[in-house]
Amino acid sequence: MTRAGVTTFSRIFFIGGAISFRALFSWITPWVYIPTLLITPMFQLLFFAYLGRTAHLRSDSWFVIGNAVQSASMASLFGMGFAIDGERWSQTLSSVLATPANRAALFLGRALPVLLNSMVTSLFVFVAGRLLLDFHPPLAVVPKLALVVVVACFSVTGLGMTTGAVGLRLRDVPIIANLVMAILLVFCGVNVPLDDLPRWMSAVAQVLPMTHSIGAARRLADGASIGSVDHLLLTDVAIGIAFGIVGFALLRWFEHEGRRLATLDRA
Amino acid sequence: MRYPKLFWHGFVVHFKELSASPFQIMTAAIWPLVFATLAYLMFRAGSGAPSLLYASLGAAVMGIWSTTATSAGGAIQRQRWLGLLELLVVAPAPFVFVLAPITVAIAGIGVYSIASTLLWGRLLFGIDVHIASPGLFALAVPATVLAVGMLGLVLASALILYRAASAFSQGLEFPVWLITGLLVPLSVLPGWVTPIAWALAPTWGMRAMRHAALGGSVLPALAMCAVLTVAYGLAAVLLLRYFEQAARRRATLSLT
Amino acid sequence: MAAVIEAHDLRRTYKTTTGVIRRKPLSVEAVRGISFAVEQGELFGLLGPNGAGKTTTIKMLITLLLPTGGTARVLGHDVEREPREVRKRIGYVFGGDRGLYERLSALDNLRYFAELYGVSGRAQKARIAEVLELVGLTGREKERVEGYSRGMRQRLHIARGILHDPEVVFLDEPTLGVDPVGARELRATISELVRGGKTVLLTTHYMFEADTLCDRIAVIAKGLIVGEGTPAQLKRGVADGRVTEVEVFGIDEQAVDRVRALEGVTAVAVEEQDQKQLLVVQTSGERELTQVLLAELEGASVGRVSSREPTLEDAYVALVTRDE
Repeated sequence: MTRAGVTTFSRIFFIGGAISFRALFSWITPWVYIPTLLITPMFQLLFFAYLGRTAHLRSDSWFVIGNAVQSASMASLFGMGFAIDGERWSQTLSSVLATPANRAALFLGRALPVLLNSMVTSLFVFVAGRLLLDFHPPLAVVPKLALVVVVACFSVTGLGMTTGAVGLRLRDVPIIANLVMAILLVFCGVNVPLDDLPRWMSAVAQVLPMTHSIGAARRLADGASIGSVDHLLLTDVAIGIAFGIVGFALLRWFEHEGRRLATLDRA
Repeated sequence: MRYPKLFWHGFVVHFKELSASPFQIMTAAIWPLVFATLAYLMFRAGSGAPSLLYASLGAAVMGIWSTTATSAGGAIQRQRWLGLLELLVVAPAPFVFVLAPITVAIAGIGVYSIASTLLWGRLLFGIDVHIASPGLFALAVPATVLAVGMLGLVLASALILYRAASAFSQGLEFPVWLITGLLVPLSVLPGWVTPIAWALAPTWGMRAMRHAALGGSVLPALAMCAVLTVAYGLAAVLLLRYFEQAARRRATLSLT
Repeated sequence: MAAVIEAHDLRRTYKTTTGVIRRKPLSVEAVRGISFAVEQGELFGLLGPNGAGKTTTIKMLITLLLPTGGTARVLGHDVEREPREVRKRIGYVFGGDRGLYERLSALDNLRYFAELYGVSGRAQKARIAEVLELVGLTGREKERVEGYSRGMRQRLHIARGILHDPEVVFLDEPTLGVDPVGARELRATISELVRGGKTVLLTTHYMFEADTLCDRIAVIAKGLIVGEGTPAQLKRGVADGRVTEVEVFGIDEQAVDRVRALEGVTAVAVEEQDQKQLLVVQTSGERELTQVLLAELEGASVGRVSSREPTLEDAYVALVTRDE
């Protein structure tokens, strides 16, 4: 990339991202943000942790890690889906896709604030676990967990592109996104150990984002080194890239189809 | 004297209106299945869990609360969006008798989730649904719907002026699931949660339904449902009186 | 006899905020002191442009909004202190697509509102049939509202509004967005209401509607009444003058101002029409101003020039633009 190319890329990445973020979230006050992205994940954790205690299943720590990573990732899943859908709702989708601006820069620029959201969510859930449940990770583990959250979010963002693309085509992103969230919640070992899932479910889990990261995070919390789990993290990254490519391809195909059938901006 | 008739009629109309949306039914019926599945799997994997029928019933009531939390807080918002809020307020009937049937109808949609969770449990997990006292169970279900619907009324009334009403009430889904003993027994939770749980309708509705199905005294729980129904009603009347005045003053009735 | 609707110096201020992060309070005076009275059996019109305060006024009268100043009474009951008494005796109909349960049939909608408005029991069935007949929807009541045209919805709105046989009916822009034929039918229905003895207050921004329907009109602009009277009185109020219409191609503001400043000119309005503009000049007195007028337009291309009697629309424009 030329220097000018990099500058343009960065400009689109940061400014385009920030503007769209503000536009999408201009209706959200702290009164909506805090409950949706912080309080609900916290209560989700408490719900499952206590359910685990009721069933005498694993430990608090086990649930904290699973739910923290999952909650953080969901912000990425929805963020991506809404970025795609939101453009359509505000009728800007066709103009966005039509600009010569680097489309990757544009969409990734939207992914950055979403990632920040995710980090804040995961931090909140981890702290809640530390204060309210039996979860006492040594300080050294914290940055490692942060890394895992980033990897999981990246991976789920890739899935988010596919989700958004499919949702766009089916004209209902929220429903598709909720469906995907439900699937991830059930399959990826968030609250049910993979060993306790029917064989076909744990097989599906292997190709879904988050599964490997969550497994890695739990091992790290138990004292494992990054080196011993890096294959898990790389697997998740690969899954994310794969879904991202599929999603991007779908988007371009649907966009082409949309131009052909004039359905891009139809509400 | 026509208020009971108004209430019943309103309930039927709104239940019909809400049911006319397949999307609404699907969401009401499917969302709880996700948590039912998780509960079944977790209980099966754990080493000392309650029975799966216990989980099944819990998930069913979770569905009733789910529709209430998702829709009741935003019930007023929806009427506003439909352009109907003004017409409802300007009707000579006291607003509480206009709004209560709506929130109870919303809770009533939860019966679709009762059906779906029990069926799901039966089909996929082989959970046999044996009800010990069918008569009392048949009484416990509407009692639960009514009590939870009235709790939804309190929610709707308290949030009438707030744009973020919907998001706030949706945020109450998990907390109430957690503390009303639907899947997690109150004995597992910290002691100070118990009095709060006792003030919430799902706790008693759950108890009534569970005891009717699995054995135990149903009538005290039903009595508490009735008490709470009345208490919620009174709270709503007070809240609505205050907020309707405020809405007339601040002109927020027709905000879209 | 006391007036059916009375408004005395009615005022309404809205407090809103501007900005997203740092919200600044903003006070908007939507209604700035409105007074009028409507007699029994009258069809009274509130005519004004969008944002003039018509809807705010009507909402104060039907007890949906509290006035921030002044008082109003409907059938002798104060709108602020006796809202329930007012609500029992009035009907409220507004224009547009919303205000009905789409997924239900018209009949279900009517039954529901009948119940809400206290029309129950045996009387209900008869009354519903009656109102359906009045608005011309008999035979289509079992269909879902979502399949209704705008005109049909409006008629259903009216049916709903009069279910409980109110003495006073408030109609807020009832023909908004309705096709001309549908609108004519609606107006016929509205006239029918008054013939049946009801008092009707109508808000509209359609001149033709106000002219043909209303016994008396109050013209509202920027929260104040700028003219009141029968349509004939209002038209006469445009001085004793005439209206000259000049087709121009590209006229500038200064020229318009020069024309406005001419002696004998009472109002000037410019209508944009595709490639050209129509300069509508109202003049008073007997003086023949056409030549003087055209002299001021030196430099602009001029097309047709015509002269005519003032219409209600001209009266309206004169009243509404007076303070500009």
